Amino acid sequence: MAHPLQLGFQDAASPVMEELLHFHDHALMVVFLISTLVLYIILAMISTKLTNKFILDSQEIEIIWTVLPAVILILIALPSLRILYLMDEINDPHLTIKAVGHQWYWSYEYTDYEDLGFDSYMIPTQDLAPGQFRLLEADHRMVVPVESPLRVLVTAEDVLHSWAVPALGVKMDAVPGRLNQTAFITSRPGIFYGQCSEICGANHSFMPIVVEAVPLEHFETWSSLMLEDA
Amino acid sequence: EEEEEEEGFRLLGILDVQNTPCSRDAILHGAGGSVTAGLLHFLATSRVRRSFDVGFAGFMLTTLGSWLYCRMNNAKLRVQQRMIQDGIKNQIVYEGTSRDPANKPEAGTPSGPS
Repeated sequence: MAHPLQLGFQDAASPVMEELLHFHDHALMVVFLISTLVLYIILAMISTKLTNKFILDSQEIEIIWTVLPAVILILIALPSLRILYLMDEINDPHLTIKAVGHQWYWSYEYTDYEDLGFDSYMIPTQDLAPGQFRLLEADHRMVVPVESPLRVLVTAEDVLHSWAVPALGVKMDAVPGRLNQTAFITSRPGIFYGQCSEICGANHSFMPIVVEAVPLEHFETWSSLMLEDA
Repeated sequence: EEEEEEEGFRLLGILDVQNTPCSRDAILHGAGGSVTAGLLHFLATSRVRRSFDVGFAGFMLTTLGSWLYCRMNNAKLRVQQRMIQDGIKNQIVYEGTSRDPANKPEAGTPSGPS
């Protein structure tokens, strides 16, 4: 999860997020090299003793600073497009969950086998237990089986919301009257936090998303308990 | 127990050299390539300024080349790792069933009572 003064991404918890992390490293290296080049050119320009007020053109430099940016863009575009299509692959999900945004909480519906649905409200700061995270914990987590391809259908009941979990590399707008689909696989068990990512009113910052990835048998136990409590 | 967070050193304030795979090696190779290229050019031409330019170009090319080579190998390793993980998982899931890849029918086995 996120930690104070964090600059980079959270650790990846899904294969797609791992790919995004690697692509980000690649793009950042390209950016670093370009920045170094510009810095060097600035220093060279400042320190040169050569002056010529009558240069009109130069074919060589024009070719270089046309071809080089094109090459750089291709170097960035190829892995980027690869990930773009990777994210759209059909993965035959084992489970479909509906995430519905409300003002100001999320509700989740597991309707593949039984009719299971529950609301997920943020735990207020004064009710947090020691060790829990402020503004991130929810009373009911979205529990999912680990290493299973999942489909999440995201929508909203009132205004725009956005269902986002950075560690899983997932963000999908919740639009009233529209079903948006996203999919992910959790690579490891754990608890992954996210926050609503589309301004939706006074408590927009206080409707977190908590995804708990557990082994399949624990997921079955949890869903049975939730059905009994319902 | 509080975990101590290691703050990575960031080159130019953006590149986390310690925590980004391949970046440290790429920068070190680039530095070596830069010194080598610049020095060789200076020894050949005795032109200081141009040697710095050549050295810098050597840094860029060596860093980029080392980076791309290392990342390519890393990507191949990750693909293999994922295939091995899936193979182990499938082995555990299908062991003892008809879909177990280890259960291959033997050739010449009689199909009925003799």
